[in-house]
Amino acid sequence: MRRYAAPVIFLLPATCLIVAFFLAPVVTTLYLSLTDISVITFQNPQWVGMGNYATLLRDQFIGRIVLNTARYVVLTLLFNVGMGLVLALLSSSVHQRWGDQLRAVWLLPRILPPVVYVLIWQGLAREAPYGLIGTITGSSTSWITAAPWAVIVLANGLVGASFGMLIFTSAIRAIPADLFYASAVDGATTLQTVRRVVLPLLRWPIMFVTAYQTLSLLTSFEYILLLTDGGPGFYTTTVWSLHAYKLALSQYFGNVEFGLGAAMAAVLVVIGIVVSVAYLRIFNFRALVAEPKIEVN
Amino acid sequence: MRSRWWIVLLAVVFFAALAPADAQQRTVVLRAWTIGPDNPSITRFRNLETAAERLNAELRREGANTQVRVEGFFDTTNWDSFLRRVLLAFQGGDPPDIVQASAALASTWATAGFISPLDEYIPRHPQFADVYPALWTAMRYQGKTWAIPQDTEARPLYFNKFLLRRLGWNDQQIADLPKRIISGDFTWDDVMTVAREARQRNVIEPGRGYYHRPVNGPDFVQWYRSFGGRDFDQATGKLVFNRAAALRYYRWLRAGVEAGVIERDRLNNDWNRFHQPITDGDGRVLFWSGGTWNWAEWEQQWVATKGGEPWLFERFGFAPHPSYTKGGKPITLSNPQAYMLAARSRNKDLAMRLLALTTVPDLDAKHAVGSAHLPVLRRTAAMVNNRFLKEVSYLLDYTTFLPIHPDLPRWQDAFYRGVSAAESGSTTPEQAVELVATELQRMLGDKVIIE
Repeated sequence: MRRYAAPVIFLLPATCLIVAFFLAPVVTTLYLSLTDISVITFQNPQWVGMGNYATLLRDQFIGRIVLNTARYVVLTLLFNVGMGLVLALLSSSVHQRWGDQLRAVWLLPRILPPVVYVLIWQGLAREAPYGLIGTITGSSTSWITAAPWAVIVLANGLVGASFGMLIFTSAIRAIPADLFYASAVDGATTLQTVRRVVLPLLRWPIMFVTAYQTLSLLTSFEYILLLTDGGPGFYTTTVWSLHAYKLALSQYFGNVEFGLGAAMAAVLVVIGIVVSVAYLRIFNFRALVAEPKIEVN
Repeated sequence: MRSRWWIVLLAVVFFAALAPADAQQRTVVLRAWTIGPDNPSITRFRNLETAAERLNAELRREGANTQVRVEGFFDTTNWDSFLRRVLLAFQGGDPPDIVQASAALASTWATAGFISPLDEYIPRHPQFADVYPALWTAMRYQGKTWAIPQDTEARPLYFNKFLLRRLGWNDQQIADLPKRIISGDFTWDDVMTVAREARQRNVIEPGRGYYHRPVNGPDFVQWYRSFGGRDFDQATGKLVFNRAAALRYYRWLRAGVEAGVIERDRLNNDWNRFHQPITDGDGRVLFWSGGTWNWAEWEQQWVATKGGEPWLFERFGFAPHPSYTKGGKPITLSNPQAYMLAARSRNKDLAMRLLALTTVPDLDAKHAVGSAHLPVLRRTAAMVNNRFLKEVSYLLDYTTFLPIHPDLPRWQDAFYRGVSAAESGSTTPEQAVELVATELQRMLGDKVIIE
């Protein structure tokens, strides 16, 4: 018994936190998704079994929302990871002093509150004479509604890229200098060095950033909410998580449906798990965390 | 030494307990949550504070040992976040005593059991007797009264006189426009014709022939009605969706977009994109639908530096919304605001006394004049000497209210989706109507009549 005392004591705090803040909400969400709880039925919710899921399946707009979600996640992810990689490579290839400053600048949007960040975007992207870009170019286009997806991907991606940038930079720094010397001696160009030396060694961080960003993009909607609120017009930029949020918590006339929103959230949990497992397969996670075959000291 | 201190302490406690109970004053905190979201409507909260001072004076005169203090806030963000906050408070079991919101919400909250019926309290306070009877109708649901009217308003069709003059209209023609709308001579199609002409002659920029609000709201019911729709069936108590009327409205919007007089992205969620072009320069928008309270916003926020209200009177005119057909009846919508009492409030008597003292002519007038809403008391209307309120109040002759039905929000949401689909060109107007009909059928089943 005493053999287990120490591990149990050490694991207990983390276990409690995980149960309270991760497991309990998932169970509650699943439970709520099986009831018809809404503003009207709040004090007396009825058990409806899979009723909410059936409602979702019959929803004529759900296909559009699924497509929007896929578009949002894929485009933003490509921009995020690609831009993060480019920034990491650029900022590590210049003198460290300049590299650090470049990265510091790219972190600025991340430390801004989203509301302020979006206000800046609105100030940039409105039509003339209200927006900066419009005023300079004399264009009467309001970019947020004219090209909502481009603005959403850019606004999200510019913030998101800094995450990849930091991880990739530290990974590049961790590559033993001997490998760069060796490739230089072999006459490799910069591009060849990146292609043959750096990128293969960044496989693990790229997998991590991709998987992590996919999951966070699936559940994040704050920039969409603030920039377009799912519009302009007809579900143009409404993604799954935003729709779930609106059903469960936010309706102009205040009549929200927690049960239906919870069902949408539960579906998102399932999608998240499926995506994670797929990533582990594609990137061959087992091989990545296996014991190294050679020691590099 | 120490024991002596104990004796002193005991003596103090003993004498304090003996002291007459009424010497201890009790302060009751009444929590009240209010919203504009327009800034000038802050009197929705300030009036409660003033009423609390008067209530305290009354209580002192009566020799009561109670005083009240109003705590709470006035929200200027948006309805969505305010209602979420209220909802979470209701659900958390610790709601404010008083919540101000649209009267139409009373049926939803009453069904949910969040708010208290007020019928037993209202007759106790003479102040309520002077409220317009029509407003009480809007506060009733299933035979009970759930709210106290706070203000009301009209939602006019505004027009820009400056731009009409540039189109060649003379002053008399402009002055006659409201009369022509009222007589049914000037219809929605005429609005479109004039807007088109303005666009063709470059009097307005693209998309600025007609503006409606950029987000969902009660107004869509009024426009649907102006195109001949009905939303409630008195006989069965069911909501109604009329395909033909919705189609007329959706087609009208779509035609406007195609003619370049309505913005394709008019539902852009940005109120600045509504107010700015309307008030820029001499105004850049020809026709637009707004509310009377917008007048106060424009006066105090948008044109304050270039002339305030006289600037507005010179350039903006207002009328009820026209009908879709010649000779049809004009329309506007009132969505009265109301104070409601949480079912869980422990101080209902005091809260109702506070609301009674808020429903008095001077405070009613202060709010009406300050925020360009219309008063709820008959005496106030006679008392107020304010040009805008006097000129606009005739709109109430053509006013309608939202149907009182707990599922109305779903109806409104579905109808709004149809507007967004047709206007943005995501679907044809015909498809949009079918989308709405299918959606309503799916959500409300036999609780809605699709005709």
